[in-house]
Amino acid sequence: MSAAPAIQATGLTKAYGDKLALDAVDLTVEEGSIFGFLGANGAGKTTMLRLVTGLARPTSGTVHVLGHDVATAGTAVRAEIGFLPDVPGYYDWMTAEEFLRFAGALFGLRGSSLDDRVTMLLDLAGLTGVTTKVGGFSRGMKQRLGVAQALVNAPRVLLLDEPTSALDPMGRKDLLDMIASLRGRTTVFFSTHILGDVERVCDAVAILDHGRVVAQAPIEELKASYGARKVVVEVTDGADALAEQIGALPWATAVERGHNGAIEVTVSDVGRAQHEIPALVAAHQVGLARMEAGEMGLEEVFVELVGGGR
Amino acid sequence: MSGYAVFAGKEVREILRTWRLWVLPGILLFFAVTGPPMARYTPEIIDAYAGAELGGLTLPDPTYLDAYAQWAQNLSQVALFALIIIYGGLVSAERRSGTAVLVLTKPVSRSAFIVVKTVVNAAFVSVLLLVGTLVTWGMTAAMFPTAPGSALWASSLVWLVLAVQFIALMTLLSVVIGSAAGAAGAGLGVYVLASIASIWEPLATYSPVGLATQASALATGASASPLWPVVTSLALSLGLVGLAAVVFRRAEL
Repeated sequence: MSAAPAIQATGLTKAYGDKLALDAVDLTVEEGSIFGFLGANGAGKTTMLRLVTGLARPTSGTVHVLGHDVATAGTAVRAEIGFLPDVPGYYDWMTAEEFLRFAGALFGLRGSSLDDRVTMLLDLAGLTGVTTKVGGFSRGMKQRLGVAQALVNAPRVLLLDEPTSALDPMGRKDLLDMIASLRGRTTVFFSTHILGDVERVCDAVAILDHGRVVAQAPIEELKASYGARKVVVEVTDGADALAEQIGALPWATAVERGHNGAIEVTVSDVGRAQHEIPALVAAHQVGLARMEAGEMGLEEVFVELVGGGR
Repeated sequence: MSGYAVFAGKEVREILRTWRLWVLPGILLFFAVTGPPMARYTPEIIDAYAGAELGGLTLPDPTYLDAYAQWAQNLSQVALFALIIIYGGLVSAERRSGTAVLVLTKPVSRSAFIVVKTVVNAAFVSVLLLVGTLVTWGMTAAMFPTAPGSALWASSLVWLVLAVQFIALMTLLSVVIGSAAGAAGAGLGVYVLASIASIWEPLATYSPVGLATQASALATGASASPLWPVVTSLALSLGLVGLAAVVFRRAEL
């Protein structure tokens, strides 16, 4: 096992003309982790994966996979990765089994090891016994075959570009379960705009906005650091008037009314909120039932980080 | 090396299991079967339908060389046009469909991708030419009292060099031009320019543009000196494939 991170990008920039698709991205993905690469459509996720796989070259900066510089390593990197593009393309005249055999053979698999791997992956993809040519597959079947072919070499780094986007709810659940089962054995780096998928299986996440990484941390750490910026207040009565007054204060970035007398306040300055909210409650002459730090979901973190520019 | 063999196997199966198995083979087989009878009976057909209008002009008796000349002409025109059109998407079709991405993120180099495609398809055309020439030879032997094969085989071999050169050219064009139709148009443009250039004798004698003329001359039993066009064409083919590999390695997929 290499001590180097599974993926390390340093100042990674990709420009198309005068448009920056990726802007000085620094990113570290530890080996064995499941890493979510989260961003809205057009944020630069696919560009990042094209650079990691060597399909495109950076304008500046470097990207290393398992310690190898992708720009110079050639097949050494490709032998260790599995890749599913956002829209996988197949030879329509092949069956799923033929494609998996072809993919496995490209990695040097032969004989019984190839047979066993293909049998296992067809089962995993739910394509055992399917003799239809790939040209007749539904998008979901193609996506499942795409995941299977990405696993054919038992890769140390599995790169998935929007892997759940074409799947029905059951297929999505199965794929996320499969990704979760790889934890600790394979590094999984998957891009998505579906927050629930990341929250469900990932250990760590990077949030990409207009080509820039605006946050990167283990999920719990990210939620905790942003959760500390949410305060939940519950008063005995007069909650609507209090919420309106809190909302007018400069450190309150968002105010929501909860059940009964609860008010959820997203704050930019926790210290001021902790001092001023009790004073406001007292000024309104209502009872303070509770006041505590709230918990932010990943969706709220995401919206807070990337929502400002939209 | 195994990546080369596996990808070459895919190319062969793709030829055998898609439309590629039928189009060029169908064209060559059609010309191989119909050429010799056409050469044998064309004078009689003309005489039967337009004898009176020819005013007593007597057409010479056809010989096996007429059948060979017909074969060489068909190869240098229709078959070459078909080849150019068919191979216009040799690389770009894989880029557009996304199959190149899946292959090239596995341990297959981009140079191998280009070289294998060129070599396998050149081998395919060689087999087609071998079969087509054999059929032409057999049909000619059936139509004429004698049909010595040396002129036919020499002509076909020279055309094979020309075909390989155009496969190499189409490989490069399909790397550079994303549209199969665009690459085919450029390939046809090169064909036209080469045909015009072959009018200038020094070029026809010492460069690849003289190949078609040499192939025709050999088929008709005329004196020919194909050495320089063949050698320069083979060198050009290697250069074109090498350039295609270099351009493809630098391309973004």
